[in-house]
Order: sequence, then C-alpha cells, then structure tokens
Amino acid sequence: MTVSSCMKKHVVSIPVTATIRDAAAVIVNKHIGLLPVVEKNGKPVGVIGIRDLLTLELPDFVSLVADVDFVHDFGAVETTRPSARTLDKSVKSLMKPPIAVEEDCGLLRAYALMLQHNLHDMLVVSKDGKLIGVASRVDIGVAVLSSWEKT
Amino acid sequence: MTLPAILATVIFFGSLIIIFSEKLHRSITAIAGGALMVIVGRVLHFYSEEAALDAIDFNTLGLLLGMMMLVAMLEPTGFFQYLAVLAARASRGKPVRLFVLLGIITTILSMFLDNVTTVVIIAPVTLLICEIIGISALPFLMSEALLSNTGGVATLIGDPPNVLIGSAAGFSFTDFLIHSLPIVLLSWVGALFLLLHLFKKELSKRPRSVKAVMRLNPAETLNEPLVARRILIVLAGAILFFFVHHALHVSPSLVALSAAAVALVWVRPNLDELFKRIEWSVLIFFASLFVMVGGLESAGVLESVVGLLERASSVPPLVFGVGLIWIVAALSAVVDNVPITIALIPVIRGLGASGMEVDPLWWALAFGAGFGGSGTIIGATANIIVVTLSERTRHPITSKLWNKRGLPVMLATCSIASILYAILYSTF
Repeated sequence: MTVSSCMKKHVVSIPVTATIRDAAAVIVNKHIGLLPVVEKNGKPVGVIGIRDLLTLELPDFVSLVADVDFVHDFGAVETTRPSARTLDKSVKSLMKPPIAVEEDCGLLRAYALMLQHNLHDMLVVSKDGKLIGVASRVDIGVAVLSSWEKT
Repeated sequence: MTLPAILATVIFFGSLIIIFSEKLHRSITAIAGGALMVIVGRVLHFYSEEAALDAIDFNTLGLLLGMMMLVAMLEPTGFFQYLAVLAARASRGKPVRLFVLLGIITTILSMFLDNVTTVVIIAPVTLLICEIIGISALPFLMSEALLSNTGGVATLIGDPPNVLIGSAAGFSFTDFLIHSLPIVLLSWVGALFLLLHLFKKELSKRPRSVKAVMRLNPAETLNEPLVARRILIVLAGAILFFFVHHALHVSPSLVALSAAAVALVWVRPNLDELFKRIEWSVLIFFASLFVMVGGLESAGVLESVVGLLERASSVPPLVFGVGLIWIVAALSAVVDNVPITIALIPVIRGLGASGMEVDPLWWALAFGAGFGGSGTIIGATANIIVVTLSERTRHPITSKLWNKRGLPVMLATCSIASILYAILYSTF
C-alpha cells in the first residue's frame, strides 16, 4: 500500500504571501493543526503548525526553566498577546521547511519519516512536486493496522 | 630584549588577542599557547616541562575544584530556585523590593560560591518571576550579573582573581574580610543605588499580576531537601574553616577539597552526572595560563617589566596603587580578568622582591580585576551568561544597553573603591 491510498485529498493551504494573522485565522476556522504554505504553482515551500503559532504567546521561561510544575498561576502571561506588528509579519518568518513524500511512498517509510522528524501530519506531493494531500499519523497507522486483519 | 623574551611575549599576547577576538575557545587557545611556550622554551633552553609544572598554582586549582564540586552537588537540589522564590514572595511583587532582594541573594551566594553558577541558576527563575508578574526582566538580569561581579570581590573564594591573589600573596580568608569586604560593601551599595536610578523607568511600571507570585510555593522548588541540607551543613563547616585556615596553617584548597570529600561521602551523588557539571575547561584554562606566564617569567620578560616599573618608583605609592586599579579595570573590561591577574602576579612579586611595599598593590589588583569586568558584555563570564540567556528571549540585552547601564556601574565601583583605597591606604 502507498501513502496516497490513505491521505486526505482535500488540503487546506495558504499562499506564501499570507501573514501570520491569516494563518491563525485559517487554523481556527478549519480546526486543523498544520497548514502547508504553497507557491502559486501549487508546490509547498513550508509548513506552519499550531505549535509554531502558540510559541509566539508562550512565555520565555518555559524553554529556560527545566521544571515549571511549581508555577501554579502563570499570572500576567495568561493575558499576554502577540503584538499587531508580530501578527502582520509574513508567514515566511515563522514557517518551517516542508517535509514531504511522493504519492507512491510506502506506508512504513512515511511513518518512519514522521517519527524521525516528530511530525503529526505528512505532506504528500505528486511526481512534479505539487501538493496533493496530507496524511496524519492516524491515517497511516490505521491503514497499516487494517492489513493485520488479513493475516 | 632577548630572542626568548620576544618569542615568549609574542606567544602570550598572541593568545590574549585570540581570546579577546573569541575566534577560538579560550581554553583551546590557552592549551595551544601553553604547549607552544614549552616547545619554544625547550628549543631555546629557557623553559622546560618541569618548570612548566612548577609554574602551575595547584592551591588555586584545588580551591576552585573543591568549591565547584560542592556547587555541582547543590545545584540539582533546587536550593537556588528556592531562595529566588522566597525573595519573590517576600517582595509581594513590588519591582523595587524584588530588585533589591534578588540582588542581595545573588551577591551573597556569589561571595561564597562560583558566581557564574549562581547567575546561571538564578537568572532563568528571575525571568519566570518577572514574566508572571508582568514586568521587564532586563533590569533584574543585568543587575544580578553586575552585583554578583561586585560582591564576589569581597571574599577569598568569591572571584577567581581573588583565589589567585590570595594564593600568591598569602592572604587569608580573614584578610579579605578585613581589607576587601568594607570597600566592596560600600561599592556594592553605590552600584545598587546607581542601578535603581538607571532602571528607574522600568522599575516604576506597575506589575500586572501580583497574585501569581504569591501562589508560588518555595517548598515545591526543592527537589532534594535532605541533600540540600547536608551540603549546606558541609558548606557552613568549610566557611568556618576558611576563617581559621591561616591560624591552622592549612591551605584554602585543602579546606575546599576536604569539604567536597565530606559532601561526596555523605551525599554519594551520581559521579558521572556530578563531573558533567564541573567546569573542567575553566580549570584547564587556569593551568594553561600558569604555564604560559611561567614561560614569560623564565624568558625574563616579567623581570624587564618589573625593571620598568621600578623606574616609575618616583611616583607616590598611593598614586601607583590607584593607577593600578584603573589600568587593571580597563584591561579586565575588554579581556578576561584571569590572564591579566595571572600575568601581573609575578610582576607584583618582583616589585616586592626589589623592596617595594606590595601589599596595597595586591588589593589594587583585586579591586581592578573584580570591578573592571562589569564594564562590557564580555568583561565577565556572568555578563556573558545573562546576555546569552536574554538572547533566547524576546528582549535581548544589547552591547548598547550594557554600555549605558553596565559601564556606569564599573566606573562608579572603581571610583568608590579608589577613594576608599586612598583613605584606607595606610591600613593595607
């Protein structure tokens, strides 16, 4: 089985000209965790995840203090919002390089790549590099496990 | 100047320039410089392996290693965070009060422990406290580095240059408390008031959430209270012995290493983890510098410097001492103060051998090396630590900001120290 057999074919994406604010709005409206950023020709140039957006609001100490269990109230941090200037920056300033597999990629290879790069969703591209689908860990996992019923 | 003297000078100052440029890690530069000095010394017959080993001050290295082991055992217990959270609660979220309390805690800790470790651990918790209260952490981070640099000068074990000077001049722990502590105390108070003035705008902002800081529970920050208690008992015992080490004819390194041994037996930590937290590169840096300066001495360079300084003996000794504070401070602001101190120790010793009264000069060296580091971002390791940490946040500390807030602190502490040095000159 290949990854194209289990991927979602309806992909929500944003153009490379979009802002961080636009990306957040799409993620909220579509209730999704990952947003591919694509060129005019449909080729992915990056991805922006809900985690990347939340990092903008997360306090600095979270990445610097090893154990935050003793902080029962995040106080002022809970009401801090990213500035308008930050939100109006291009998605290019926050997006990460895309990691994608071609449509004929095997399920286990796709899953292994997701594990290695700590991804929850994998972009699937056609032979000419255009974005044609997204496969989640669940999509791939369910497809693999369904073959166990036949053994 | 002879060929050995020229080559030894080139090796030493070449290494200092590379250290200053930060193109190569300072310990790598020092190892390479030390090895080159011995090789050139062997070829030109002015230095040998035996002489290089003799040049290493094992008393300094032992004292540093012993204290590093104690701090490395105390660090994972959460004791430092415990103190910071206590300060936060005691301040009730009032920025000025928090600023003073965190400054006092960092200073007292750095008077007895390695101030780099102190800042490394206190700074992230400071950031946490400031963020949950809703105020800028920059004044707090900068002042922790600046006040710990200043406070560390007060004791024999508070600052690496003091360890070096104490060992070379034979000054005891009590000598530092008598001669250095009063001057440092007043300089520190001056630095604190200056910082409160310089950061007046930031500290006058009203905190947005005081409630959050009152919900922090200090007890929850202590991961291993029993281990913390044991190490603090050993540390207190070591400090008591530091007070009497001179009378007992025991070196400070023996006190520190014995305390570390007692703590190791009592706590029995995971040695692999413990040794990872020891700053071996610092110890190697010191040893390599000793080897390089030993080469300078054997090549006759330091003798020439002593000769030049003797010619300046017409300068009144008080002016000579105050001048030394400022020259060493200026050098320490741009180059690491450890090589400066190690290089000047044989010079002062040489002046002493030629009949000059050098005890006041040792103190001038300590004040200059200790206070000078506050002048620039790269002047002291504690400064580099807070700047590096701030670069991982949304509000990095820039060189421009440091020049506006750190440099005045250096100038103020050096000025206060110079005035008090002049007043107390006859007591040195």
